[in-house]
Amino acid sequence: MKANLYIVTYSFVLAMVCALVLTGVGRFTAPYQEANEAADRFRGILEVLSVPFDRADPAEQVREIYRRNVREIEHAELTLYELVPTEHIDVEPAVAVPFSGQGLWGPIHGFISLSPDLSTIRGLAFVYHEETPGLGGEIVSENFRRQFEGKSTVGPDERPGIRILPGTDERGPNEVDAITGATMTSEKVEDMINEALREVLTEHLP
Amino acid sequence: MTNQTQAGCGPACGPSCGSTGLCGGKGFLTVKDGLLTNNPVWVQILGICSALAVTTRLENSLVMGAAVIFVICMSNLIISLLRNTIPHRIRIIVEVAIIALFVIVCDQVLKAFYWEMSKQLGPYVGLIITNCIVMGRAEAFALQNPPLISVVDGAANGLGYAIILAVIGAFRELAGTGAILGHVILSPEWYTPNQLMILAPGAFFALGALIALVAAVRGGQEQEAGR
Repeated sequence: MKANLYIVTYSFVLAMVCALVLTGVGRFTAPYQEANEAADRFRGILEVLSVPFDRADPAEQVREIYRRNVREIEHAELTLYELVPTEHIDVEPAVAVPFSGQGLWGPIHGFISLSPDLSTIRGLAFVYHEETPGLGGEIVSENFRRQFEGKSTVGPDERPGIRILPGTDERGPNEVDAITGATMTSEKVEDMINEALREVLTEHLP
Repeated sequence: MTNQTQAGCGPACGPSCGSTGLCGGKGFLTVKDGLLTNNPVWVQILGICSALAVTTRLENSLVMGAAVIFVICMSNLIISLLRNTIPHRIRIIVEVAIIALFVIVCDQVLKAFYWEMSKQLGPYVGLIITNCIVMGRAEAFALQNPPLISVVDGAANGLGYAIILAVIGAFRELAGTGAILGHVILSPEWYTPNQLMILAPGAFFALGALIALVAAVRGGQEQEAGR
């Protein structure tokens, strides 16, 4: 009985001490971690808007570049990120639209940038994903993302949305190649991009 | 030297060699044990999962190695300090709790101050908790030895792990990208990077070749000692 009491007390004290230490460390590092996560968002927006910057820049500097070049436009339930055309005249004007959704293994967050008239896709960037490296993780590769540049945001039937298709057929103005071996991820990414496109197109077009 | 240690405790003795009177209490032997004679990766074949996963680049390997050294040293220290108070029946739980504490601290600090690296190492920092090397040293050494020598043992074993990671990481980065720490060594003009070495199979080839090489060298010595 006495031995049991000792074990219970011992584990309780140990757990309390561990919890206290971890709470302290968590509190101390939280602001830095939040700044890092926010910087990743800024990097995604800057990248998709083709603003030149160095990915290795520290969080604070990225935030500064973001402040100078991007204007946030609040809509009812949607925030758009517009390139401020003052500093980088050689960069084409564009609007970044956030999209997010569930991937195969975890959440995916990213941005898609559109021409100011919202008819053409300018670029695509992913901020967060948990897909399998080498398979679904290939969504972040240049080869996959580059395909979207210049694609139309509406199909031949005037319905908003893009299509990410398997196979080797000729691609239409709003179609791109899916990733081989990552059908599920491709489909899910298509859905989340289309949801964002529909939202922004129906809100802006009459 | 190697022959003597092994003749004394026998090849079957394995990881507990470091905890017996033969090696315990002697700093030099403890270090040699962790680095060479009983190297966690190439002799005990522990910690293979992370050794395969994070060694795509030398930098990743170095950070992972440093994290493991930190965790083993600290957990060995604390467990050794508490060794006379820990109730025997729940000692594994206590060990895991203490190891987990330091792993989480490591992970949080990486996330705060080494963000890009933290993203590349992904879940493998957190998985140090389940790294058999850390647990093995706590169970086999720190529970029976005083704090100072336990820290030495932790450092030696962590270093033994880190060195292998660095060797594999350097080899895979060089073969897979033609660079070391991002500096181009093999000019792309005449060397075509073999991307297989960056992918999972490359890790198996590199680690397998390394273990085979060490086994070939040691195998001869062990046979001699056996006679």
